[in-house]
Order: sequence, then C-alpha cells, then structure tokens
Amino acid sequence: MPAGKEEVEKFICDEVAMLVGDANSQITPATPLIGANRAVDSADLVVLLLAVEDYARDNLGFQWDWTSDSAMSEARSVLRNIGSLADHLVSQRAA
Amino acid sequence: MDTVIVTGASRGLGRHCAMSLHERGYRVIGISRSVKGDTPYEIRSADVADSASLSKALGDLKRDKSVYALINAAGIASMNLVITTPAETVRKIINTNLVGTILACQLVAPAMIRRGSGRIINFSTLGVPLAIKGEAIYIASKAGVEGFSRAFAREMSPHGVTVNTVAPGPIDTALIEKVPRDKIDAVVSRQIIERQAEPSDVWNIVSLLLSAESSMISGETIHVGGA
Repeated sequence: MPAGKEEVEKFICDEVAMLVGDANSQITPATPLIGANRAVDSADLVVLLLAVEDYARDNLGFQWDWTSDSAMSEARSVLRNIGSLADHLVSQRAA
Repeated sequence: MDTVIVTGASRGLGRHCAMSLHERGYRVIGISRSVKGDTPYEIRSADVADSASLSKALGDLKRDKSVYALINAAGIASMNLVITTPAETVRKIINTNLVGTILACQLVAPAMIRRGSGRIINFSTLGVPLAIKGEAIYIASKAGVEGFSRAFAREMSPHGVTVNTVAPGPIDTALIEKVPRDKIDAVVSRQIIERQAEPSDVWNIVSLLLSAESSMISGETIHVGGA
C-alpha cells in the first residue's frame, strides 16, 4: 500500500532531524524549510531534496523531478514547511 | 572503479582527457553530439545545449555513487567580429559553451552530492584575460563559465565537491584549425610562458585537479601558460 501523507511527513521529519542532528526531534510538519526560521541550511536542503526524490521513487511510485520548471515555479510554496512538501508529494503521486 | 564523465569526448581536449583517464583505469563516459569511430571508452550521444538530450544521456547516473568527476570540455568557437556575427551563431556559442556547462553540472552534481565528494572541471580560455580581438562572443561564453564555476564552487563546497576552471591558450585541435599561424603566434607571445601548450600540458593540470591532493583548490581558474 502506498505511503500516506502522515507517513511522508514522518519520513521528511526524520530526515530533517538527522540533518540538523536533532535527536530529541523538535521537528514537526510545521517546521519551515525556507525563510528566516528555516530548519536546514541550503546545503542540507539539497541533501534533503535528493533523499525525498529517492523516497518518491521507492515509496510513492513516481519520479519527482524537483529541478523541473513547474516544480521550481512552485518551490517557495512547496518548501514552505515539511507539511506543504508532503502535501505536494502526495498530490503528485495522485496526478 | 570511479566514473568520470567527459563532454566533448570525441575530439580535441575532451578526447585527450578521456583517453588519458581511460589509460589510468577510470570508467569514462564520453558525451558527444555524434558517435563515430572507435573509442576504448563508452560514448553516449547528446547535445550539451539541449537539456532533454543531455538528461536522456546522463539520467541513469543521477544515483550512481561511482561518479567521481565531470569534465566539461564540449565547446565551439567562431572567430569573427561581433558586428558581423549572425545572431544564431551568438546563441549557438553561448548555448553550447555556457548553458551546456551549466546543464551538465546540474545533471551530474546530485550523484556527487550523494557520494559526498567529487571534482568538476570546466574549460575556459586564455582569451578571457587577454581580451583577444575577434573572439568577443567566444570569450563572453567562457567568462560566463568562469563566473558560474566560481559561484557554483561555493554551492558545492559543503558536499566535498570542488569546481575549477582550466583556461588554455591555443592548442592544436580542430577548434582552431582555421586560425592563421601568425594569429596563434601572437596570442602565444602574450602568455607568461611563451610556448604553445600541448594537450598533455592541459591534461597535467586536469590530472592535478582530479587528484586527492587538490581538495583545497576550488573556485579557481588556472591559466595554462599564464596570463
């Protein structure tokens, strides 16, 4: 059965927690990925996006091309926080 | 076995680098617009200026952690005065030399980020610092490569990937076969080392930049022969 939104969010939260070394996991779906209060720096964001790309292929059954023009034009809203990224991935799977 | 991707691998400096890499035991994947003739390394057909074509040729390497380096040697030149160069030629030079370099970096960098190390070597020209008359558009494309490489080096640094540019003067390859001898001699006379470089001189610098010993060199342009 394909992963649901909560599962996708959990995966992203775990990845972010690992990247920032947050063992106690203060990371939630509301954690921002871009902007002034972002949890990850730009280098870690790239690593996160690569991990999400692999996750989408292996667990959601589609190839997520985050460098495509359409993905990039929405990037600011998609990467607003972990929840918005999970929403985007789940919607892409459905599409 | 480490993999090195070389664009422009069917001729000129790209071919020389690809051959040298193959001889030293690297797995070489060459990119060339046309696949012809025998090469001891794999050649894939793609136009570096065409993102779809390049993506098709390199797509399978995105997750390949054996990918250690990218050498962007694909390039074209058209020696002409700016005001007599057709607009289409301008676009073609910029698209192949600058956009092609950027696109290849975009496609190959994820594999190096996953690996946590890597080398990207781009090609410029001594024409940039020497401001050679009749090469303004070619020089503009290569100056773009230098600026791109410098800024991209900063972006890739946290991932253990260095990005450098090698800038040779005139080398006896197909790229300058129509340039008169006296013009080549005039350029060579403006180098710090007044000797026309050989492909092996360029390879020596590429080889240095590929080595583990170059891990603290990034964002640099190395002028072959000095300028």
